[in-house]
Amino acid sequence: MKKDSAAKLLIYCSLGYLALGMTLGIVTAMKLIWPAIGDFEIMSFGRIRTVHTNMVMFGWLLQADLGLLFFILPRILHTKLFSEKLGMLMAGLLNVALLGGFIGILTGHMKNVEYGELPRPFDILIVVCWVLFAVNVFGTIAQRKVKYLYVTVWYSMGAVIWTTFVYLTGNFVSQLPGIQGVNQANLIWFYVHNAVGLIFTPLGVAAAYYLIPKSLNTPLYSHRLSLVGFWVISFTYVWTGAHHMINGPISYWLQTVAILFSFSLIIPVVAVVTNFFGTFGAAPRQARMAGAVPKLLLMGTIYYLFTCLQGPFQAIRHVNVIVSKTDWVVGHAHMALLGAFSFYAMAGVYYAIPRIIGKKLYSEKLANVHFWLMTLATLPFFGILWLSGVIQGFLWLNPENTFLETLRIMRPYHGIRMWSGALILASVIVFIYNIMETCAGKGGDLESTTT
Amino acid sequence: MKKFAVEKNMLLLALGALAVFSIGGIGSTLIPPLVDKSLVTSTSDKPVHQYTEQEQRGIEIYKAEGCVYCHTQQIRDMVSDQKRYGWRLVDAAVSESWEYTQDKYHFLGTKRTGPDLARVGGKYSNQWHWAHFKDPRNMGEKFRSSRGPYESSSVMPSFKYLTDEEIKDLTAYLQTLGRNKNWRVDSNDRPLNDYED
Ligand code: HEC
Repeated sequence: MKKDSAAKLLIYCSLGYLALGMTLGIVTAMKLIWPAIGDFEIMSFGRIRTVHTNMVMFGWLLQADLGLLFFILPRILHTKLFSEKLGMLMAGLLNVALLGGFIGILTGHMKNVEYGELPRPFDILIVVCWVLFAVNVFGTIAQRKVKYLYVTVWYSMGAVIWTTFVYLTGNFVSQLPGIQGVNQANLIWFYVHNAVGLIFTPLGVAAAYYLIPKSLNTPLYSHRLSLVGFWVISFTYVWTGAHHMINGPISYWLQTVAILFSFSLIIPVVAVVTNFFGTFGAAPRQARMAGAVPKLLLMGTIYYLFTCLQGPFQAIRHVNVIVSKTDWVVGHAHMALLGAFSFYAMAGVYYAIPRIIGKKLYSEKLANVHFWLMTLATLPFFGILWLSGVIQGFLWLNPENTFLETLRIMRPYHGIRMWSGALILASVIVFIYNIMETCAGKGGDLESTTT
Repeated sequence: MKKFAVEKNMLLLALGALAVFSIGGIGSTLIPPLVDKSLVTSTSDKPVHQYTEQEQRGIEIYKAEGCVYCHTQQIRDMVSDQKRYGWRLVDAAVSESWEYTQDKYHFLGTKRTGPDLARVGGKYSNQWHWAHFKDPRNMGEKFRSSRGPYESSSVMPSFKYLTDEEIKDLTAYLQTLGRNKNWRVDSNDRPLNDYED
């Protein structure tokens, strides 16, 4: 089978889910302004919102990241992908699992696991895909032609190993008979938090560790910092699940442990981010600004830093009193997955697709339009969610404000949220259009040396 | 820069990553229920409500409709939560972990697009819930007084597609919420259990 077939298939499919999943995000935002929109069974808020989150997380981001690793790993390890066939099989199964799972949610069969709503048997199918992915990752590493393993490889292996346990705990152990109440909630939040922290973070960071030095043509700033980042993150991230229940009905000591570890996350994040910025700083100026790839990587890193500073901040008990359960949380989740890791993944797609198919990018100009529109639209989008979250939080402190009054005050904020979201969607459509035209060969051939 | 052995040995790296991770993995999942019994069994002398079959059907509907994405079920240890979700002038009791031990599915939630429901049982009559599920923005003649603010500000979806039976099941479940602590008492300190009407 042709080189990179699996990577290509995964990336193509992920783009479809990106467009669809974001559209559903807009529908969800519209429902908070005009609840009469799509007010019927399969379009009901609870279901559409859930398909939105699952689609952008697993249909788009996970799938795109898997595709990118299939592109990156063989190149760092100077070998072929262990098995393209297995990769294609995995891509096919993953899409069956996702489609089936989405239909399951829409028809009222979701699990009570946030981010793990995909019902049986489709979550089992996801596990099968994961095993196939693991075989390919480890197989490729085993047949490598280089001696040392680069950071990207560490993170890929970490993601494979950690996710296995995280996914099984959240989706299967939590559903066992006898696992009930707050104990179940604790297992599920272990999953929810680590879905972001130990699936999307290592996959995204793995890609960035390759893409940043490569696209800037500059060596990585510091090897030592990458070591610190990796080992500290693998120790600390996993402890933080209980910070979703601060001031809530779970053991006080467990909250405190989660808060302390949330703070310690600053160490690995600053290590990673310093490493990335250091590499940017050392690169020649024209490389830093050359096209959309470095810009997306830089903006993604800025968002990564912001999200990860926000995390410890909102884990402070007194801050949590205000921001928890408000729109702020929605802003935080979006900045990690849309801000940081989707920016990385899009940079990866711009980088990988031309090299896979041997054609130039259709339009550098459109790529820049995409970058600037998306950046300028995400800023008010995150900003308004935090602002409305803080306002909501303070309004709730006073029991004199009825809940309905606080909802009325939120209306203009929800409007800005929807419109800036619509702009983000527009920028993403520009992105997808550019990639489609590239695939159609409209950009001309690429000189073969750069693949 | 010096390179370590883990950096060229795949197995060593994999085992190392697993070992470091599993300390926290075990510490944050298996240990808590061992240390804190109230996560798994009732530690209160009050009985924990056992759900009837009808209420269990209601729970399934609550899960399928994703109510949890707009409603939390936890009165946090904060005066503002207790006051807001109280009843008449009685503050709502803070939620404790033993109250949830019979819940096959947890619905603690992370987002309050709508009000918290942990103590909603008995706050409204079954008829009110009926009208509210059919159309939160227009609850009909009987509840006309509440029309204005609901009509302009409620963003709860209508659940008119649920069958009459399903709405009854769901309501039966909602009316149990908060029942484990008899937090509302009459002037003689007797628990008020006026959920059923
Ligand atoms: C889009 C988010 C949303 C979803 C989904 C949703 N609700 Fe609501 N709910 C609200 C809002 C907003 C209010 C406050 C306004 C009102 O009462 O209509 C509310 C109010 C309520 C109330 C009254 C609470 C009180 O103390 O006044 C109950 C009970 C309720 N919802 C139950 C449910 C159930 C059960 C479901 C799932 C079948 C559900 N809701 C789904 C948003 C939602």
